Amino acid sequence: MTAWLVLLVPLAGAATVLAARRRHRLLLPLALAGSLASLAVGAWAAATGPAATWRWGRHLALALEVEGLARVMVVLVAAIALPVVAYAGVSLAHDRGLARLLGLLLAFVGAMSVLVTASNLLTLLVAWELVGIASWALVAHDWRQAEVAPLALHVFLTTRTGDLGLVAAAGVVLAVAGTTDYDALAGLSGWPVHVVAGGLLLAAAAKSAQLPFSPWLFSAMAGPTPASALLHSATMVAAGAYALARTVPLLDAASWLAPAVAGLGLATALAGGVVASVQTDLKRALAASTSAQYGLILVAVGAGSAAAAGTHLVTHATLKALLFLGAGVALHTAGTLDLRRLRLGRALPFVAATFAVGALALAAVPPLGAARSKEGILAAAVHRSAWLGAGVLAASFLSALYAGRLALLAYGPGPASLARPGPILGAGPVPGAGSASDPSPSIVEDRGCSAIKMLHNRTDERPPIFERGTLERPPAVERGALGGLAAATLALSALWLPGAADLVEDATGGALVAGEAWELVASVLAVAAAAGLIALLSRRGHLASLGLPTRTQAAVGAWLGLPALAEHLVVNPVLALSRSLAALDDRVVDAGVRAAVRVAAALSRLLAWWGERSVDGLVQGVAGMTLRTAAFSRATDERAVDRAVEELARGTTSAGRQGQRLQTGMSHHYYVIVALGLVAAVAVAALGRS
Amino acid sequence: MLSASIFVPLVAAVVLLLARRLGERQARLLALVTAAVPLVILAVAWLRFEGDGGFQLVESVPWIPTLGVGYKVGVDGVSLPLAALTALLFVVSIAYPVELRGRARQYFAAFLFLEAASLGVFLALDLFLFYVFFDVSLVGMYFLIAVWGHGDSQRSALKFFLYTLAGSLAMLLAILGLYLSSEPRTFDMAELIRQQPLDGDGLRAALVFLGFAVGLGVKTPIVPFHTWLPPAHVDAPGPASAILAGVLLKMGTYGFVRILLSMMPETYQRFALPLAVVATVGIVYGALVSLAQTNLKRLVAYSSVNHMGYVILGISAAAAAGVDGDPEAATLALSGATLEMVAHGLITGALFLLAGSVWARAETYELDELGGLAARSPAMTGAVVLAAFASLGLPGLAGFVAEFQVFAGTFAIYPALAGAALVGLVITAAVFLRMVQRVFLGALPERWASWPELSRTEVLALAPVLALVVLIGVAPAWVLDVIDTTAQQILRR
Repeated sequence: MTAWLVLLVPLAGAATVLAARRRHRLLLPLALAGSLASLAVGAWAAATGPAATWRWGRHLALALEVEGLARVMVVLVAAIALPVVAYAGVSLAHDRGLARLLGLLLAFVGAMSVLVTASNLLTLLVAWELVGIASWALVAHDWRQAEVAPLALHVFLTTRTGDLGLVAAAGVVLAVAGTTDYDALAGLSGWPVHVVAGGLLLAAAAKSAQLPFSPWLFSAMAGPTPASALLHSATMVAAGAYALARTVPLLDAASWLAPAVAGLGLATALAGGVVASVQTDLKRALAASTSAQYGLILVAVGAGSAAAAGTHLVTHATLKALLFLGAGVALHTAGTLDLRRLRLGRALPFVAATFAVGALALAAVPPLGAARSKEGILAAAVHRSAWLGAGVLAASFLSALYAGRLALLAYGPGPASLARPGPILGAGPVPGAGSASDPSPSIVEDRGCSAIKMLHNRTDERPPIFERGTLERPPAVERGALGGLAAATLALSALWLPGAADLVEDATGGALVAGEAWELVASVLAVAAAAGLIALLSRRGHLASLGLPTRTQAAVGAWLGLPALAEHLVVNPVLALSRSLAALDDRVVDAGVRAAVRVAAALSRLLAWWGERSVDGLVQGVAGMTLRTAAFSRATDERAVDRAVEELARGTTSAGRQGQRLQTGMSHHYYVIVALGLVAAVAVAALGRS
Repeated sequence: MLSASIFVPLVAAVVLLLARRLGERQARLLALVTAAVPLVILAVAWLRFEGDGGFQLVESVPWIPTLGVGYKVGVDGVSLPLAALTALLFVVSIAYPVELRGRARQYFAAFLFLEAASLGVFLALDLFLFYVFFDVSLVGMYFLIAVWGHGDSQRSALKFFLYTLAGSLAMLLAILGLYLSSEPRTFDMAELIRQQPLDGDGLRAALVFLGFAVGLGVKTPIVPFHTWLPPAHVDAPGPASAILAGVLLKMGTYGFVRILLSMMPETYQRFALPLAVVATVGIVYGALVSLAQTNLKRLVAYSSVNHMGYVILGISAAAAAGVDGDPEAATLALSGATLEMVAHGLITGALFLLAGSVWARAETYELDELGGLAARSPAMTGAVVLAAFASLGLPGLAGFVAEFQVFAGTFAIYPALAGAALVGLVITAAVFLRMVQRVFLGALPERWASWPELSRTEVLALAPVLALVVLIGVAPAWVLDVIDTTAQQILRR
């Protein structure tokens, strides 16, 4: 049962942080302690490979097993979380919701650890939904701002639409095989295997922000930067690719699955690359590149190399968390994410250097580790088909293009000709200063970590140039977090060392396709071509706009119009349908009931005219008829039937009187109901005798 | 022992009505202590429960022997969780603060009377007794809505009363039909289950089945017999709403399992597909209509239509496969449906109690008039968010376990329907997250600047319900094992 520690330790950390929410100064130390403990447990689990089950009932059980790729992932999640938590504790030190943020980040680590170590689909599903709701809560962090909650809703609903696939997959496996163990997938055949394969693909596409679900990742950028770094780039979004890496090899019977995964991944890698290349918002550009990179990982999965996929999961998580934290520093110090107004290189040289490391890795420049992992993907793709390989090369070109463009626009030195003293933006509160127990609301609002209000505040004024010394240097802990992630990114260069391939194959349990020399040359050429293009654009001053008309750039940057399409094709029709059904429910369905009452009222008037007796008498008359009918029939125990009917008559009559007392205006309707009921009683009684 | 859980509240209700000099505090205390008795009794029953699937702790007294009517009560794995849920929800609802309009004794008397009737429905092992309790429960709820409700409560109460009474008349005819077919004539449930007097083909079996289905379906409610539900909920006081949704709706679905599935399984098999289709329509329809609501209580009420759809879908799938199909899948679906009854009772009970708290503070349920309340009352926000998450089927909370079992079981039997029903999961997520967003997030309107946090009584009342939602969500084995014993037994016939 000790395997559950991968969940329980982070949860305990989250609980501790939340319990201490009024002791503002304790939050960061407690969160760091929780995060370190989680990392220790993750490392222990990776080393010892524990397994555990938790029985839910006769048919259901949760199960964990730390083996294969799970060993790598369980460490990765906690390892990325550590610098992110440290960064969050400092950069949002004045945020009223800091305890909630740190608690959610730690709880997320627990849920994500379950997700990567799950050994059956039910456990995967449980963790899958839990990280999804954590994502909702984190995106809605600045819940006081009216714009944020709808974006969080968009995030959750889009991914939950995909989750249906996982529910279906888990449900069908359980229904067919009696268990949801991953191993049971291999034994499927017939329609279930196609439903399971389709369900997993749908769920993974939505979670990993693949086409056509990608735009939710833009909405997720409304969350605070630490959430973007940990959930919406490095780990949670990885869940889809990871789940496919675990399950696709087992689903051979669905022969269409692997090509579909590779095709979807390649399409997203290319489209996401284009979107990331033209975006003018730093976090959104990073988000689009996240979709694109997971697209490449899907190509590896589809091409049959879980090892290449696993390697790129690790290198990408490290570099992307680094880049997101760099984006967070840009937002906090410069007050904007608009790529046309940043160029913080001179003002923040250390941050710029770390950002450059991340960007070079993203561009897959050797000898950084990400270049090696991308080589692995290219080799696997070429091995499967030349076209797939060509697609991966094109995607590599795009990733080098957007990585270089982002680095220069966000943390480049800026054109010297424009040099002038820059305004001291965002140099307001010094993190760590002020009374922690009573954060002033205005400070919190000013330091708003959401990108949203920035997105609505674009102006066309000339870009400010940030000189050295014009901006606050980020505090030591933030620099430590950035430096740590940059160091890790650099350290992953070890993947190029001889013998690393064996280690990777050991760790991931898969085989790496041996790359050929020309593939390496081709990808270096792709990177060089991108660098040349960047230099050209830069010289002409078109790096931000790419020389495109503003409207075109905006349309392409907004995920090629996909959000508008989803709104017109899905959201609006569903809302319209729901409103018209609600109106139908009020007017038509209930009208049936009201009409029945009116008919009954008319009947009762007719009956009142027809007989002089009171309605009560009429009811008794009908009951009397019942008795006579019963008396005519000659069965052995007729007394019993009579008694039953008599009881019925008496009961309904007295109930009828009560109904009259309730509201005289309606009572005759009610009597008619009783009378009709009695007529039916007679019919059934007669039927019963026959 | 079980009889005491019916008669202690009944006697206390009479005492409350007669003791004119009782003040509000004493009345509340008496009601609480009395309501706790059934809870203790059922907890003991749970501890003594043995998993052989049959009826246990049976108490039987002849009543009208010539008719084969007896007073007979007992529990099995399906009725015990529902009875325990009922006992818990009544304690909590009685404790929940509400405007009593100077009629405290009558209010608590009505509640205790309703509790006796509700427990009677779940504990009765005689069809006649079942019917008596089933109908009498209407009276208690009628007065709770009409006297202590708000808005157009008289009209809503009457609509509720007449509509469900008409439904139970249909059921009465069906009961008589079943009774008249039994040989020897009896209302004893165990005997009727053994005899299966009307099972199989034939017009009579079909008519009796439809009588039950309509009667129980109105109570459940199944679309399109649901239109009494929203007005009744909107105008009822919070605690009565909680009982209406948490307990009274379950009488309908419980009847499907106890009567239709147990006493006429082959007839049910014939009607399983149409019922499953209707249930699936209800799942999607209830969720969609809920999405358009602007009134908090109507929103939750329509989401109940959606959730009851899952229950009927699970039971019908079990009925389709139970006789000669896949018994494991059938058990999965049936125990999922039964657990969904319990989960929905807890979750929606909590939501309606919280809606009562909103009304007590704002005198409105309109979502557009609320907003930003998280700034003023974190505890209320936390409670509603937890209940909303549970209601949208988030894992780790009670609803998920139940709904996943229903889906998995149904996939084995009606894969297309299960797939269609899945859509409900996304829509309910939209329903509840939008509700949370509109009530609690965003800017706080000026008029709610002094919105009071949940009182200690409210927190203490909600705590056990929400704790159970989490407990069942994380560790459902202790409930599922009890349910499974009987679910298997029902389907083995």
